[in-house]
Amino acid sequence: MTVDLNKLHAVGAIAEEAEGKWGMVIDMDLCTGCQACVAACAMENNIPYVEEVDAGYGRSMHWIRTERFWEGEYPEVKMSAYQPMLCQQCGKAPCEPVCPAFATVHSQAEQINLQVYNRCVGTRYCANNCPYQVRSFNWRDYQDSRVRPEITILANQFNPDVTVRRRGVMEKCTFCIQRIHKAQDKAKSEGREVEDGEFTTACAQACPANAITFGRIDHPESLVAQLARSPRAEHHLEELGTLPRVTYLKEG
Amino acid sequence: MSKQISRRDFLKLATAGAATTAVLTGCGPTSRFVSREPYLKMPEYTYNGMSTYYATTCRECAAACGLVVRTMQGRAIKVEGNANNPVNLGKTCARGQATLQGLYNPDRVENPVKQARGAQLSQETLDWNAAIQIVSDALKNTKPSEIAFLMGMAPDHLFDLVSDLAKAIGAPAPIRFGALGMFEARATLSKAAEDLFGKASMPFFDLENADVVISFGSNFLETWLSPVALTRGFAKMRRGNPERRGYFVQFEARMSQTASKADEWIPLRPGTESLVALALGRLIAEAKGGSLPPAFASVDPLTAAADAGVQLEVLERLAQALVKANRPLVIPGGAALGQSNGLAVAESVLALNALLGNFGLPGGVFISPLAPAQDAYHRPASAKEMTDFIAKMKNGGVKVLFVHGVNPVFELPKHLGFAEALAAVPQVISFATFPDETALASDYIFPDHHGLESWGYQRAVVSAKPVLSGAQPVVTPYFNTRATADVFLAAAALAGGKFAEALPFADEVAFIQSKLTQLVGEEGFFTAPEINSFTAYFQQYGGWWTSDPALATPSAANAIAKRFTPAAAEFAGEGEFFFLPFVSPTLGEAGANKPWLQELADPTTTVMWNTWVEMNPVTAHELGIENDDIVEIVSEAGSVEAPVYLYPAIRPDVIAMPFGQGHTAYGRFASGRGANPADVLGSHFNEAGDLAFAGMKVAVKKTGKTKVLSRLESRIGVYGEGLEKE
Repeated sequence: MTVDLNKLHAVGAIAEEAEGKWGMVIDMDLCTGCQACVAACAMENNIPYVEEVDAGYGRSMHWIRTERFWEGEYPEVKMSAYQPMLCQQCGKAPCEPVCPAFATVHSQAEQINLQVYNRCVGTRYCANNCPYQVRSFNWRDYQDSRVRPEITILANQFNPDVTVRRRGVMEKCTFCIQRIHKAQDKAKSEGREVEDGEFTTACAQACPANAITFGRIDHPESLVAQLARSPRAEHHLEELGTLPRVTYLKEG
Repeated sequence: MSKQISRRDFLKLATAGAATTAVLTGCGPTSRFVSREPYLKMPEYTYNGMSTYYATTCRECAAACGLVVRTMQGRAIKVEGNANNPVNLGKTCARGQATLQGLYNPDRVENPVKQARGAQLSQETLDWNAAIQIVSDALKNTKPSEIAFLMGMAPDHLFDLVSDLAKAIGAPAPIRFGALGMFEARATLSKAAEDLFGKASMPFFDLENADVVISFGSNFLETWLSPVALTRGFAKMRRGNPERRGYFVQFEARMSQTASKADEWIPLRPGTESLVALALGRLIAEAKGGSLPPAFASVDPLTAAADAGVQLEVLERLAQALVKANRPLVIPGGAALGQSNGLAVAESVLALNALLGNFGLPGGVFISPLAPAQDAYHRPASAKEMTDFIAKMKNGGVKVLFVHGVNPVFELPKHLGFAEALAAVPQVISFATFPDETALASDYIFPDHHGLESWGYQRAVVSAKPVLSGAQPVVTPYFNTRATADVFLAAAALAGGKFAEALPFADEVAFIQSKLTQLVGEEGFFTAPEINSFTAYFQQYGGWWTSDPALATPSAANAIAKRFTPAAAEFAGEGEFFFLPFVSPTLGEAGANKPWLQELADPTTTVMWNTWVEMNPVTAHELGIENDDIVEIVSEAGSVEAPVYLYPAIRPDVIAMPFGQGHTAYGRFASGRGANPADVLGSHFNEAGDLAFAGMKVAVKKTGKTKVLSRLESRIGVYGEGLEKE
């Protein structure tokens, strides 16, 4: 029996018949777990470091992380492929219907999952409901120089295109929406469409193994759409019907 | 009627102006620095909301990756890879990304100071004229043979300048060192190439075109030689050819990040790498038929397999895979070379490649080309050479020591006694950007700019094309620092005579241009008819490189004919565990002062902000050790304490520990955090003079203390839950 996912969608989420607009393909056969994407993401998106104690409490704020799982015991021990895990920008996002403040909503223009920081009141329902555990809560004023004197100088590096968040809000990957907007503005001022590969997200740009590809998943000729048609393609937790926009390519 | 300029037209003009000046920036002496201004007072070539991009070179390691740094209003905002640079082709590693947190680090040396070997960074600032006078006096009033220069592996232009100065005044040639070079065992690779190919050089392993790759302990996806270039090579090997998927096998006692990407990880007994390489060679030679080459004649595969703790069938299967492969490649490296018989490991692996017939073929072994403006291959000093230098310092043979770009108090094994030797040198002048251990133990710190504020060039280590990656300041210096090259130039001019004659340059840029002159008119990525255009293009494109690869083919004859005496490595010490230190894949040798590198989860263990000891869970259980229990590791040379991480993929007789933490200085993020495995390393070397860092046996003692490691994978440990069960 096939289930029509559009009939199942929760109130508040916007149903998307199409495959979405922006998409990402991550080749797990290539990912070496090197953390370049994590560092690039942190530098691009002004993500605070939380230091050792808070990190131990699970409060670290990586918007992207690499997961790996063990199987078996020595000497027959195997490690799974590294799985870079980030917001899957679900077409039917479980985080969206549970937000009482409409802080996490779907962008109709870009068809990605938005987080509106100044609406967020920090109920954390969205993180609780996210099957991918990719939302991170900002517990303290990590970026406030009154709390952390060193921010006075480190703040020189902050990306002016991205909000510096205060405590009490939920954060997550935005597919580098500031880069999307910049590329679209530029294309519009030049009277053309954004070309495939004209820009990319910070993680994809840094990745030394070229494991991450970003682009218009709804354009069949784009590189990301071609890769997403690979026989190795899979979606994480696909059975939940979240319609993730991130496609993973298996090993083998 | 006056002509109206609309806002849109104004912005268009402004953009055109910005683009033009971006190209021209740096052409003349007046524009040698971009400036950092308040947002209200904009420099003339920047506009609100518009970024300016500058090409430069990463200095987090010596691999010479090209960067393009996005700046706004004179602030460096984001690091991207330079897509033109053949080393990294637009990519960066995590350490390159975090270099901005070094630039805007709260713990930089902000002024020249009279440090007077204090425990803390001195507050007694000097002005730069006084600093130059001190350097000048030190050069002039010391017997040249008693002056010593100790330099890091980057930048190359400063090494060239100091080499020229040392040569002209009759001082000993500068010594170059770096912990990465020590853990990479560069001296061993170079010596193996010298023995087998007749000339000291860096062998080049054409990873991207190979289809079956076997690596003996080489951690090329982590920190080895040029990780971004080699990661790209790995990705192309894996998936670059749609017809086939590259097969990768790693021999290593512990599953490193590199080994975790292997199709087969084979945990050898440490020290048996050369036996296994020779046994593979013999099995391949027998499978191919014909007479047995001398290199592999004296090894018995069955005994070798038994010694290594591997099934003979596994070696036979791998030998078959190599024979059947179109482009087989075997890579030596890392801990396999850092053992008493490391040179034999490197040479037997090269012999194995020679037997496979891959020399000079795609996917095979080559000799790296010399970089542009390079006379010969110069490897960094081995730990043995550093030991000789330490002895010279202790014996009063060094009266003035200049240190730049290296932190030997932290990086060298404590047992070698660099700190004590430093105390015996009457005058130590450091040019450190950060208050590291060596800088604090100096008489003066005359801080150099951060790499992103600096001019310079760096030669690529791993590249088929000869690459000279260029560096230029992307922002104006944030603090009252000065380029060390300029300090030496000014000091030499002040000293006059042979000093001034040795360095007749107005400033650092003039010196760099003098080295670039030989490339004017050369065919390459760009060709410029005269030096000013050349320098402008060099800055704009971030360096100069040839259009075609210039790899040389080594001769296989010597490698095959060499008679090896198969023997396992010898281990120093009495303990029951083999000790396997490795460079932290996220921190490298000098990343500990950048908070986001600390916050990155180690790829295999997911530990953040600390040092851990990896131990097999079964072994730990037998010893009654749990996760997060602090153990003391005791070797013949010293001891160190760190919490245990039960690591499922390590041999039961091996413990491993990352290098990179355990600083006693180096700023708030690094100091007092974690432990340094160099504290237990001894003074045993291999035949090439590299430290046998993986050649120790150590004892493990329980301390009864615990320290909960912060990991990304587990969120229960700190609450005290689940500790009994784990």
